[in-house]
Amino acid sequence: MSSLRLWLTDPNPTSRRQARLGQLWLAWLRIRRNSLAMAGLVIVALLVLVAVFAPLLAPHDPLVQDLGRRLLPPGTPGNLLGTDDFGRDILSRIIYGSRITLYIIGLVAVTAPVLGLLIGTVAGYFGGWVDAVLMRLTDIFLAFPRLILALALVAVLGPGIENAVLAIALTAWPPYARIARAETLTVRNSDYIAAVRLQGAGAVRIIAGHIVPMCLSSVIIRVTLDMAGVILIAAGLGFLGLGVQPPMPEWGLMISSGRKFLFEQWWVATMPGLAIFIVSLGFNLLGDGLRDVLDPRSSQSGSAPK
Amino acid sequence: MSLIEIDNLSVTFRAKGREVQAVQGVSLTVGEKESFGLVGESGSGKSTILRAICGLAPVSGGTIRIGGKVIPSPRGRDFSRRVQMVFQDPYASLHPRHTIDRTLSEPLAIHGIGNSDARVMQVLEDVGLPTSFRFRYPHQLSGGQRQRVAIARALMLNPQILLLDEPTSALDASVQAEVLNLLNRLRAEHGLTFLMVSHDLAVIDHMCDRVLVMQHGRAVEELSREALAAAQMKTAYARSLFDASADRLLGPTPEPVK
Amino acid sequence: MTLLDVQNLRVTFDTETGPVQAVRGVSFSLGRERLGIVGESGSGKTMTGRAVLRLIRPPGRIEADRMVFDGQDLMKASDREMRALRGQRIGMVMQDPKYSLNPVMSVGQQLTEGLRLRDRIGRAAAHAKAVAALEAVQIRDPERVMAAYPHELSGGMGQRVMIAMMLIPEPDLLIADEPTSALDVTVQAEVLSILDGLVRDRGMGLIFISHDLRLVSRFCDRVLVMYKGRIVEEVQAGNLLAARHPYTQGLLNCLPRIGGPRAPLPGLDRSGAWAQDNGGTR
Ligand SMILES: Nc1ncnc2c1ncn2[C@@H]1O[C@H](COP(=O)(O)OP(=O)(O)OP(=O)(O)O)[C@@H](O)[C@H]1O
Ligand SMILES: Nc1ncnc2c1ncn2[C@@H]1O[C@H](COP(=O)(O)OP(=O)(O)OP(=O)(O)O)[C@@H](O)[C@H]1O
Ligand SMILES: [Mg+2]
Ligand SMILES: [Mg+2]
Repeated sequence: MSSLRLWLTDPNPTSRRQARLGQLWLAWLRIRRNSLAMAGLVIVALLVLVAVFAPLLAPHDPLVQDLGRRLLPPGTPGNLLGTDDFGRDILSRIIYGSRITLYIIGLVAVTAPVLGLLIGTVAGYFGGWVDAVLMRLTDIFLAFPRLILALALVAVLGPGIENAVLAIALTAWPPYARIARAETLTVRNSDYIAAVRLQGAGAVRIIAGHIVPMCLSSVIIRVTLDMAGVILIAAGLGFLGLGVQPPMPEWGLMISSGRKFLFEQWWVATMPGLAIFIVSLGFNLLGDGLRDVLDPRSSQSGSAPK
Repeated sequence: MSLIEIDNLSVTFRAKGREVQAVQGVSLTVGEKESFGLVGESGSGKSTILRAICGLAPVSGGTIRIGGKVIPSPRGRDFSRRVQMVFQDPYASLHPRHTIDRTLSEPLAIHGIGNSDARVMQVLEDVGLPTSFRFRYPHQLSGGQRQRVAIARALMLNPQILLLDEPTSALDASVQAEVLNLLNRLRAEHGLTFLMVSHDLAVIDHMCDRVLVMQHGRAVEELSREALAAAQMKTAYARSLFDASADRLLGPTPEPVK
Repeated sequence: MTLLDVQNLRVTFDTETGPVQAVRGVSFSLGRERLGIVGESGSGKTMTGRAVLRLIRPPGRIEADRMVFDGQDLMKASDREMRALRGQRIGMVMQDPKYSLNPVMSVGQQLTEGLRLRDRIGRAAAHAKAVAALEAVQIRDPERVMAAYPHELSGGMGQRVMIAMMLIPEPDLLIADEPTSALDVTVQAEVLSILDGLVRDRGMGLIFISHDLRLVSRFCDRVLVMYKGRIVEEVQAGNLLAARHPYTQGLLNCLPRIGGPRAPLPGLDRSGAWAQDNGGTR
């Protein structure tokens, strides 16, 4: 163990692999020093674990109804968080619901930022009419409130989880494009870009290998900060009946069905609400912490903050 | 025959409707294995000439020939293998998120040259950096070390011509000496041709055989090394440059001017 | 009359691989004069300058027995008080000017921003003041430069813009970190005469960080020579070229000279006792 650590922290690595692993190890050390980010990381890791081991963790089947045990309050033996109006165990539904949440987050996280990065860096790098066209397109998407746009898209595409993801992804990319373009503008005239151009690199190589890394940290941070919003929009679509369809245990859908009893049986809507709150908080904290970790200079350089 | 022939070169930048004539009708020739210096006022277009050769500045008139042939535009891969540049500012010319290893192996990857491991180690040795620096990031290096990385990068493709834009102005005296010695050694070993910008006449004198003095985007006067050392300049501007460099002359240290 | 008094200043970086001491116990005091700091790359010149403004980012730490600017204890000042000092009463010209300018804001915007926000000066007046400052640093075409973005400037112009920016608020103390390294000798002389005028006429204090020993010996009143975070020698500037310390001597010997031989320049010999880790006379 300690020899592994020595190998990782060796200031003079001897191979590319060792250097890369050493960087990861340093990033891990940095994130570990930041207690809030660690809290966020723990929450997100818990979400993943719960989703993976849902069948083992859930005490009941999330879909089986038991009308004899409707609307039991939290703390009832066998139903720790109570039951809903069909007598389904809320805890089990939240546990299974984490799978859906994770699925949505995962899909959005691999589509929207990639699209945004592509559009933003291309617009920023080439400038001129390419920039004008792409940025007007971005503005059009930005001009609509996200939820409304997602609603309109789902209304066209038809309800369902894939369509909900598609709608969210299509409404989520414009801010990433904006960020990526802004970062691209600050680096495209720099000498290090001129230097690779002089070495004969083409536009694809320059954008992918030299410009994207400069945009990546701000985009990743923005993505983690946005994840809370994505969960809420997915929940909102579920709530309106346009996302995941009942009887799937999606958190937003659960809130929507609990709304009818909000005053007498508060727990039906509150428990999934709490789950959304905690997971959103986790992603937010993680995003804040990543800001410090992703910049290799942040912990070592002495250059002044602007 | 001259290796680099620049004939009546003009560069005009257009920004927001304004025209900036950065270089106006400058001609110069550099022979093979020669070292040619550019000095002059700040903002007089020295860097712009080097950038124009590399296709990084908008040429509005004149021709640039290398080895007797007009260089194609866009420059293309053959050009990159022949001509490389070291930029003015070592703090801005290395990618902050790439390790030294990545920066140095990038040109090899672009040109599909293999064996990058060994070549990176070799070039680090050439410029006198310990190979243990290979996986550092630029911010972990001092200014002089960064400049040596920039020189190493320029050497990766074994070019024939090196364009050097103030290679030592950001460096302290001891590192400047190291870098100048390194450049001279590399020129001798690899038979390189230098086109070098500096504002320190002592550096130019140490490095170059001929020097062109520039002001306001125009060439003012061309001097040989001997003429420079003997203060045989004809124009007032070149003389004022020389006079202001009095403390860089060989001989008894001058009295401090107060 | 002391403007700045620094006793036993230390700057330490707590990196993952252990603490790195960039400045190890530097003491000096500055009146309304020109103090030069010279030394090789990495000797802690920049960090000393930054520490005075408390501009060291974590994991860097600043410690000092005493650091007082014009009666105000800089070690105890709140972040707010420091912000009020920076730029206004203490200016700093950064070493890498183009890096320190905002690449997506025009030079004019950056020059007038402070004037308009802090001093509440009208647009036209701020513009006029900025143009005057650019003219003072020998920029030929100030109107064009005002509209230009940093990448459209030459290296030396970026440096002069940075100097102009720092001089506009008329600070009492200016820390200039390699302010003229990219300037040719004639423009350099002009810029130095502006700084000189400010010290003489307005009584500004100037810390002039540079690696150009000949320049410092000509321009400053007093010079501190730094090596590995310590001050190894303090001399009257006029005597610098005759300095006795082997390190200072070594630095001087590395310099090429007009009409000098083409032989390889001598390097710095670090085998002497002064170069060992606990070397230094202070
Ligand atoms: N991209 C650009 N757009 C507009 N003007 C530019 C651009 N690049 C350079 N210039 C202008 O061209 C002129 C010459 O600049 P250049 O960088 O060649 O000067 P230089 O001789 O290298 O000066 P220095 O010694 O200060 O580096 C300057 O007036 C500068 O403002
Ligand atoms: N973030 C950091 N982490 C660790 N060490 C650092 C950090 N920043 C600076 N240092 C170290 O502090 C020392 C002093 O650096 P400083 O920038 O003050 O040097 P300098 O005298 O200004 O050199 P130069 O002439 O090259 O500008 C250097 O040895 C550097 O390695
Ligand atoms: Mg230049
Ligand atoms: Mg410095």
